[in-house]
Amino acid sequence: MTDVSATAQHKVVDSRGSFCPGPITDLFKAYRSSQLGDVIELLATDPAAKADVTAWAQKSGNELVGIADEPGYMRITVKITKKR
Amino acid sequence: MTDEVQRVVIVGSGDGGTFTANLLASELSDEIRGGLASVQLIGEHLDHPFQPANLDIAFKGAAPEKYVKEETDLIRKEVEFIKDPAVKIDFRARTVATKSGRTIGYDYLVIATGAVANPSKIPGLAEGALNFHAGGESSRRIWDALQAFEGGTIIVAIGGTPHKCPPSPNEAAFMLDEFFRKKGIRDRVTIKFLTPYPRPYPAEKISRVVEPLFKERGIEVTTFFNVDSVDPTQRKIYSMEGETFDYDLLIAIPPHHGADVVVNSGIGDEDGYIPTDRGAMRVVGQVGVYCLGDATNIPVSKSGVVAHLQSVVVAHNIAAEMKRSSEFLEYNGRINCPMEVGHHKAIFVSATYTSPPVDQTPSTVKYYMKRSFALIYWRALDGSLERIFDVFFGQTRFPVAEKEAPVRMATASTAPEQGAKQDA
Repeated sequence: MTDVSATAQHKVVDSRGSFCPGPITDLFKAYRSSQLGDVIELLATDPAAKADVTAWAQKSGNELVGIADEPGYMRITVKITKKR
Repeated sequence: MTDEVQRVVIVGSGDGGTFTANLLASELSDEIRGGLASVQLIGEHLDHPFQPANLDIAFKGAAPEKYVKEETDLIRKEVEFIKDPAVKIDFRARTVATKSGRTIGYDYLVIATGAVANPSKIPGLAEGALNFHAGGESSRRIWDALQAFEGGTIIVAIGGTPHKCPPSPNEAAFMLDEFFRKKGIRDRVTIKFLTPYPRPYPAEKISRVVEPLFKERGIEVTTFFNVDSVDPTQRKIYSMEGETFDYDLLIAIPPHHGADVVVNSGIGDEDGYIPTDRGAMRVVGQVGVYCLGDATNIPVSKSGVVAHLQSVVVAHNIAAEMKRSSEFLEYNGRINCPMEVGHHKAIFVSATYTSPPVDQTPSTVKYYMKRSFALIYWRALDGSLERIFDVFFGQTRFPVAEKEAPVRMATASTAPEQGAKQDA
């Protein structure tokens, strides 16, 4: 069995300045090239990104690790726990 | 102007490349006649299709040949058309190499190479799905399949973003519904719409129009569906998120990327789109090099209207550079994408960088406005309808930015300001 924690990657996706659907499509692009266990940090200024990513994580079964308010933007962290 | 010939080379003879060539030929007609300037248009095909007609070909049985003209009939006589695919763009040497082995030098370059729909990017998609983004012939195959379809599940799926004509997947679903109602077998057909977005249309205000219409017409929507693969034998489509749907007929919007010449020249981003200043349309980090339409990485709709509006900016700014003018135009992010919602009604998805799309009601007037564009497209390419577009778009003539003319042949960036991106 592969230990995903040993190979997991941490990706930062900067979508600041991009409006819906920019942040969520940027997240999907990172998701497409991700492996189970990877962590994606999405940086976004569009307030809609919070609801969109939360809804996607809930539906897809991926883990929303947290949403942190940074000066002027949000840092939304997702752990890839479900991917075909 | 200097005494030397100022050579403008345009790569790509689609909507944007052709229109830019004609605008420049008009603006520089005296200089071209006097041997002080030249405009060369490098294209791959002699045929020039009206791409929005692909929907009519696929879902209304229109004849593809009705929507094609020869490029040489569309360009002004001052433009030299070179039918020879560009294979390499060299910013350092300021040359374009063609397939036949020519090397063409430029003083000003316009990259209008478009975007390519490529089903092979998703396993099984090329074999298992039809699409109307790869041209008239592939659109015609959808119409043929619909003639033989007597019942079952049709899926319209968005296989990748960005893609040409953002409203077109929704239009496909609406037009399928209309087709089967007219055929009298709508009750035997399930239409499913699979989208990676959180809602039926990415822009929320437009989705508020689309969603109730989909519900009313019985078009079933699945959101957050990022296509992973297709099994053409079992007729199944899978999402990365783990969902699976069976289908009898799959119509999928393929993933898009930049043109081969951009990818092979190493001048694009990871998807083959050119980093471009969203206002002046200059290629980031280059001097005298512009990009427009689907070829740019600017997050606005990939559509003919956008290419048309950006052509106005590019042609003006190149002429301004040549003439040492300090008056430059800036593209304001204007999009204007018609969306047919079936039964002779349509809406327009209109926005700018600073004004998102607004609520609206589908209307017959908008439907006929959309239809009329197929008739006027060819004349629009020569610039003679710009006054009408000024009225229609309201703000085709973008604000003039008083700026210093860019320093020629320097290495300084064109000061891209890639601030707010746009909802489409």
